[in-house]
Amino acid sequence: METSATTKLVFAQRLLYPLPMVVFVLVWHFFTQGNKERQFIFSSPEKVWEALERTIISGELLTNCQVTVTEAVAGFLLGTTIGAIIGLALWYSKLVAQISKPYITALATVPIFALAPVVISWFGIDIYSKIALAFLSTVSVAIVQSYQGAMSVEKRFLRLMQVAGATRWQTFRLVVVPSSIIWVLNAMKLNIGLALMGAFIGEFISSEHGLGYMIVKASGLYDQATVFAGVIALIVIALALTFVIEQIENRLMRWKTV
Amino acid sequence: MSVSAPLLTIDNLCFDFDGQTEKTVNALELSVKKGEIVCILGASGCGKTTVLNLIAGLLKPKSGSINMHAEAGKKNSIGYIFQSDPLFPWRTVEGNLMLAFDLNKSLDRNRAKETMQQYLSMFHLNSQILTKYPTQLSGGMRQRVSIIQSLMFDPELLLLDEPFSALDYYTKLSLEEEFCQLVKEKNKAAILVTHDIEEAVSMGTRAFIMSGGKLAREFHIKQETQGLDNTRGTEEFAKHYREIWSELKTIISG
Repeated sequence: METSATTKLVFAQRLLYPLPMVVFVLVWHFFTQGNKERQFIFSSPEKVWEALERTIISGELLTNCQVTVTEAVAGFLLGTTIGAIIGLALWYSKLVAQISKPYITALATVPIFALAPVVISWFGIDIYSKIALAFLSTVSVAIVQSYQGAMSVEKRFLRLMQVAGATRWQTFRLVVVPSSIIWVLNAMKLNIGLALMGAFIGEFISSEHGLGYMIVKASGLYDQATVFAGVIALIVIALALTFVIEQIENRLMRWKTV
Repeated sequence: MSVSAPLLTIDNLCFDFDGQTEKTVNALELSVKKGEIVCILGASGCGKTTVLNLIAGLLKPKSGSINMHAEAGKKNSIGYIFQSDPLFPWRTVEGNLMLAFDLNKSLDRNRAKETMQQYLSMFHLNSQILTKYPTQLSGGMRQRVSIIQSLMFDPELLLLDEPFSALDYYTKLSLEEEFCQLVKEKNKAAILVTHDIEEAVSMGTRAFIMSGGKLAREFHIKQETQGLDNTRGTEEFAKHYREIWSELKTIISG
């Protein structure tokens, strides 16, 4: 009885998922239908669909997606890995952690948009400057989250290791790292969006490829439909990458769901 | 080491937390022999857990000495069983029990697994439990696993900080009995901190009341009653209970 009710609820939820999007598209459609001026400013669902079809068939959208995904994923992997290593390693020394704190805060608060021109002048306008920007966007979040995780290890676990005569390295490897995984995973979830934003900002400022470049070019030509096609592609990429992270989370945190 | 020689001796132990004017532990003396279960009772905040933490090396004494006369070459001569079990939720029961092996790779893995199986049957646990995660276990099972985890280090002295206080009455009784049996069979020693006079009388060979940072009063409990729940109704049990309670009442009321 209860199972049947749960199944019905899940089914209803799945049906309701696309509802806000359908409502949004319908409102957009009726708002712009038959009005050239509105269509020029806001485009329309039909025109966006046409732009998606056109850019997919010509290969423009997929090529640009590939570039943006490569930059964002490379920056994300570098930023999250290096950030997590630094954040977890700070557990080793309270003194180093205290000294690093203002620097990490400074790095976290600097808007990446402000750093972009400098980074582009260092690394050039090709893929490396975008990877560097995605890296800078993600590294501080990974450091802060991992350090928080390492410092939040339950005292009872640390006491057990101390009584058992474990070395600091054993405590780090067997307790600190596994119990901080949830924090690292949270950092990964946050960083997906930030890495995409970092890569996108780089492309937006100076680039010859990528979704940022495609959107800037289309925007310069008042081609709002292609701009929206690029935005939709960015959303799809972010959702796909978040899905991958969730799969990793389910695997690593299996003990939470048993 | 002769059979009657103490396993642990504490002399003139003093400790205070920084900024405190009164000593939490003040010139405390204690010796514990193998096969003994020494219970420490006292009002909340009187320093019972601090004594265990000092013995375990989690705190450093301000003065005095704690000497463990453990077997030569033994790495872990002390095991600590806490009120809230320290089982790692990300490890299966087997992973938790094999922690001793992970920390000391010189141990024989097969031997460690044999020992684990022996303890599982001693504590009436099925080996199917090994693949489960701690979150899948009941409170009693978790505490049993936690005791076995400590025993896997083969300690000679076990420190217990109210380990049965959060359990239901029946689980508590059976665990108390199993634990007493273990101490006898494996010739270990234990120091149990508890608020429960019944528990102290049924498990302890000696009981102390802690007050003013000292073990203020000592009670010798007759060995035969140890851990047997059917002795709870006997006159001797009641006598020990009354003695301890009357003393505790006097101390607590001031």
